[in-house]
Amino acid sequence: MFFHIVLERNMQLHPRFFGRNLRENLVSKLMKDVEGTCSGRHGFVVAITGIESVGKGLIRDGTGFVTFPVKYQCVVFRPFKGEILEAVVTLVNKMGFFAEAGPVQIFVSKHLIPDDMEFQAGDMPHYTTSDGSVKIQKECEVRLKIIGTRVDATEIFCVGTIKDDFLGVINDPASTA
Amino acid sequence: MEISVPVQKTVVLEPFIKLVKLVARVFYDNYTTVSDNQQKSARSDSRGTAVVVLDALTRRQWVREEDLAKDLRSNAKQLRKILRYFEEQKLVMRVHRKETAKRAKMYSAAVAATTDGRAEDKVNFHTHSYCCLDYQQIYDMVRCKLDRIKKKLKDELEDKNTVQEYGCPNCQRKYNALDALRLISMEDDSFHCENCNGELVVECNKLTSEEVVDGGDNAKRRQREKLKVLLQNVEDRLGPLMDQINRVKDLPFPGVESLHAWEARAAMAARANGDLNPNDPSRTQGGYGSTPMPFLGETKVEVNLGEGKEDVKSEGGDSSQKILPPWMIKEGMKLTEEQRGEMRQEAKVDGVSGGASKLSDDKKSAMGNGDDKDLKDEYLKAYYAALLKQQEVAEKPTQQESAGVSTSDSLLATTSSDRQVGMKSKREEEDEEDVEWEEEAPVAANGDYKVDLNVEANEEEEEEDDVEWEEG
Repeated sequence: MFFHIVLERNMQLHPRFFGRNLRENLVSKLMKDVEGTCSGRHGFVVAITGIESVGKGLIRDGTGFVTFPVKYQCVVFRPFKGEILEAVVTLVNKMGFFAEAGPVQIFVSKHLIPDDMEFQAGDMPHYTTSDGSVKIQKECEVRLKIIGTRVDATEIFCVGTIKDDFLGVINDPASTA
Repeated sequence: MEISVPVQKTVVLEPFIKLVKLVARVFYDNYTTVSDNQQKSARSDSRGTAVVVLDALTRRQWVREEDLAKDLRSNAKQLRKILRYFEEQKLVMRVHRKETAKRAKMYSAAVAATTDGRAEDKVNFHTHSYCCLDYQQIYDMVRCKLDRIKKKLKDELEDKNTVQEYGCPNCQRKYNALDALRLISMEDDSFHCENCNGELVVECNKLTSEEVVDGGDNAKRRQREKLKVLLQNVEDRLGPLMDQINRVKDLPFPGVESLHAWEARAAMAARANGDLNPNDPSRTQGGYGSTPMPFLGETKVEVNLGEGKEDVKSEGGDSSQKILPPWMIKEGMKLTEEQRGEMRQEAKVDGVSGGASKLSDDKKSAMGNGDDKDLKDEYLKAYYAALLKQQEVAEKPTQQESAGVSTSDSLLATTSSDRQVGMKSKREEEDEEDVEWEEEAPVAANGDYKVDLNVEANEEEEEEDDVEWEEG
């Protein structure tokens, strides 16, 4: 799920950036530092949408670095148990398959793939039904439901299922091509 | 507050006892205090003790654990272990307290009162533990347990929402699907143990682990059938328990009494029965404090939203007659004798029934009745007269100011009371009144440097009043 929230961060800025463009430098550094990171609490920071406030800088003793407390608005993505996501399959093996929904990786184990789909090895491993009408392979898109998340301090990993109504392949580039 | 608490009220209802007994047999039949790795001889086998303990507890209320052990002829240590387990399982409440002779006596007095006679007088000065069944919690706990069982079975049956587990055949390490990212290896497409790099195998459902994998539709189908049978079994065997739960559902729960409350109540019951017990807690000086207090049941606060008026009245009933302070009394005010501070005697005599004072707080004036309406009218007239006079002598700002402050309070009181009674004829007067105030305020402000705050406050109050009037 996506959230628009306000976060705070202490930015250390090198003295060479001081000057007319201090604020711009601060913001661009913030973007570089924060966007794409993941925290267990808030999820993945997708994008910074605005700066709320930049506090007073504090000069570090010894170094010339200055610490600014910056409050910024950002869009975060945090997967939840029970959430339905659309993801792109990245890897298929006999244990199941891996998929990605943006920054988050999801594993769907074999027993959470419908029983009528069988694993087919080969140079393009895939799961397919006996009549071959549905095929899960690399690069195809699936809709899945998250049944478990593992949230570490800097990483989120999910386990999903496609064994439910309306879940499964939604678009297969190989078949349309 | 409820003063009398009938003793019968806490007598545990029959269905709850039945529920506890069922629970004991269904869930705790096989419970032993001995853990698996320390197998002992059959003599120390404590299987079934848990059931006995629970049954015994249904026949008692608060009981000292040593006494329970003695009654059950069981090892006190073992019993404590079981009780601790039950406490964790939220079946029983336990209280530990350091015992003095008096407290112990109080307990034995309570015991003597509930079970006829025979309480042991010999008590040590140690920490004693008391325990009691907590029926409300037992009910919740059992429901939760049943729900979890059903959900687990259902999930496994449908293969849904279960995170797949993997095990390493070499080092017995367990993983689950959430570790998948770390387990995947580059060489082949199976998972490998982080420890020994052995290939992981899929662990089967715990419930049907005998029939291990090795694929094929057949195995899967068999597994499913087995699960179905299991679910059926569960539903059959837990049937009586579920029935009991449903029966209990709508019944009022036996109240949860603290040990203290129970002791005191039991002792009181004993006194009511006429047997004078020398150990009666309410008689022993310094039982819970230095002053002996009869136990009046647990404090109950009843909030009655419907009849607020009476409550308010009773709250301020005694001080209904207020005497005007001398600085508020002005020339030309028509005041009753009471307000001038004379005839105090009489004011006390007719107490509540006489008209309430003018200058009491809002609560009071809000419930003004018909009698004091007349008085208020009079008062208002007097007030206007005084006001007019003040405007005439506006050149004495300080005096006027004090009058302004003093009267504003009374004005507020009266307006709110009028609103309560719903006298429409008053409105016009009040509006005029407001206009006058607005004129007057700046005068006061000019006149006196100190009074700015007061005047402003008055204005605000007036404005608030206006708003409310419009709404009303």
